[in-house]
Amino acid sequence: MNQALRLAYRNLVGAGLRTWLNVGVLSFTFVLILFYNGLIDGWNKQAKRDSIAWEIGQGQIIHKDYDPLDPFTILDGHGNINTIKGNVSPVLVQQSTIYPEGRSISTLLKGVSTNQSITQLPTGLLLNTDANIPALIGKNMSNKSGLKEGDEVLIRWRDSEGTFDATNITIVGIFESTVPTIDAGQIYIPIEKLWELTGLENHASYFIVGEGYEHKEIQDWEFNSQSSLLETLDAMIETKKASGTIMYLLLMAIALLAIFDTQVLSIFRRQKEIGTYIALGMTRGEVIRLFTVEGFMYSVLAVILGSIYGIPLLWFLAKNGIPYPVEQVQDFGVPISDTMYPVFSLGLIAGTLLLVVVSATIVSYLPARKISKMNPVDAIKGKLQ
Amino acid sequence: MNTEKIITLENVVKRFKVGDGEFTALKDINLNFDKGEFAGLVGPSGSGKTTLLNIIGSLDSPTEGTATVMGKSISELSHKESALLRNHHIGFIFQVYNLLPVYTVYENVEFALLLQNHSAEERKKAVMDALDWVGIADMANKKPAKLSGGEGQRVAIARAMVKKPQILLADEPTANLDAENAHAILQTMKSLNKELDTTFLFSTHDEKVMKYMDRIIHLRDGSVEKDEIINSKSSSK
Ligand SMILES: Nc1ncnc2c1ncn2[C@@H]1O[C@H](COP(=O)(O)OP(=O)(O)O)[C@@H](O)[C@H]1O
Ligand SMILES: [Mg+2]
Repeated sequence: MNQALRLAYRNLVGAGLRTWLNVGVLSFTFVLILFYNGLIDGWNKQAKRDSIAWEIGQGQIIHKDYDPLDPFTILDGHGNINTIKGNVSPVLVQQSTIYPEGRSISTLLKGVSTNQSITQLPTGLLLNTDANIPALIGKNMSNKSGLKEGDEVLIRWRDSEGTFDATNITIVGIFESTVPTIDAGQIYIPIEKLWELTGLENHASYFIVGEGYEHKEIQDWEFNSQSSLLETLDAMIETKKASGTIMYLLLMAIALLAIFDTQVLSIFRRQKEIGTYIALGMTRGEVIRLFTVEGFMYSVLAVILGSIYGIPLLWFLAKNGIPYPVEQVQDFGVPISDTMYPVFSLGLIAGTLLLVVVSATIVSYLPARKISKMNPVDAIKGKLQ
Repeated sequence: MNTEKIITLENVVKRFKVGDGEFTALKDINLNFDKGEFAGLVGPSGSGKTTLLNIIGSLDSPTEGTATVMGKSISELSHKESALLRNHHIGFIFQVYNLLPVYTVYENVEFALLLQNHSAEERKKAVMDALDWVGIADMANKKPAKLSGGEGQRVAIARAMVKKPQILLADEPTANLDAENAHAILQTMKSLNKELDTTFLFSTHDEKVMKYMDRIIHLRDGSVEKDEIINSKSSSK
């Protein structure tokens, strides 16, 4: 092995530019895969953190008839809150329509408790105001509707009898959150006000659970743990990851093709050299080993080169984050902040390293096997075509 | 007969597949070589010289008959065994030198030793000795591309001789050299032949080379036409 390493090293260094081109492409792939996955992981981490802080809390207790993904369940999906005790914050959901400047926008009207601190939603803003019905909206909703702090807008909803009613609400605060699902098309008012408007006194559609809450079976209510609620998010991120994987697999394929090409070309260009190796007493096994080790060494050099420029670059990005155009942010459907901080875990680095090294070695072994079958007499003459 | 036969060829026939048929490149060759001979295979192009050298060098094997080199039958050697035989006991010199282009002169010569187990010091000494024999020790760090034809062939000789093989096979070693270089190289090989008692076997159709030979075997169309001993000194050792 020592001999193969030494000879492979000589061959690579001796080949000069060709080696460095291959190594360069491979190292670039290595760093890019790391960067991309680090970005996704960082995003994943941030998205989860923000979702927990703004929406999920330590879990949710949802009324058995309410399905957050099915608007038709809103009408009947609520129940009396008195059965549930502990550190929880109730939310009552109703369908409504607002009419800013004559347009109509269909919205989810959410009654929230004003003194809650389980989520970061600034419900305190709903307290210190003399507005009749104070309301909070998110920045995205504000942009879409044109509503600003202090604006009044007509809202229409259906009460418990099913008859339509309408009144004015006052926007008392606009919050900024990276979590799009709590912003888009949603209006927050004190839950007591919503009870008044709808006649659903002491009702909620779901609760957000805070620290220290311990769930016991309650009739009509279902507990959804934090991790089960994060599953949807995980699935969404996995989808984003998969579409990115295609990109980096393509890149990887290009880099491996470059090595494969170099090694396959080697059979033809270097057949005289191989014949000479054999004439000088190299065994077939030693020839295979030499070429395989060359491929392995490509990847090792690529990892070293990639580390030289990759470590400072990735470290800088992990430290300072990457600015992300906010305009696009809301279209993602997944919490994403205007600055992304990639996270490079040991597992990610080791996995990428292994992927690069193993695939480069395999791609070199394949042509090497073919080389070894060559007739040495033909090889010396450079006859094989 | 008490002299040691280092190479024995008995009824050696070599046929090559050519299209649907066959071509007989060697027809019933019977030859013996003693240790320390300095012999030439002479004949026109296509007469079978290279084919014969390849068989003796265990790069190829006879279709019929037996070729015995250092007591081993070439056709019966495994790939590993023939590699071992070449590595330790047979040196090759090619018409076009076949130097490894990415290695320096020093590394080219060192190559054969890397396949064996030698310490770094042993290797270094052997390589420098070999470069001294052929008079190019000062070019150790050059790449083959920077060498003249004569220098390139000297490197090839040093590479073949560095492991002090029993047999050195040289296939038209002077074909690409001018007269002056051809003579210099033959003189070098002749003195190595005396000094190390290596058996030299050339193929050539160069008149200059023939002058140096102790024995000339004339080949024509794959058969031995004439086997003449010119200088019996080496064969009556
Ligand atoms: N691999 C091969 N396949 C077919 N014919 C071959 C092969 N090698 C050599 N020959 C033929 O055998 C004959 C002898 O070739 P060779 O030994 O190279 O001659 P020389 O070295 O004397 O010029 C030539 O006619 C050549 O064409
Ligand atoms: Mg020839």
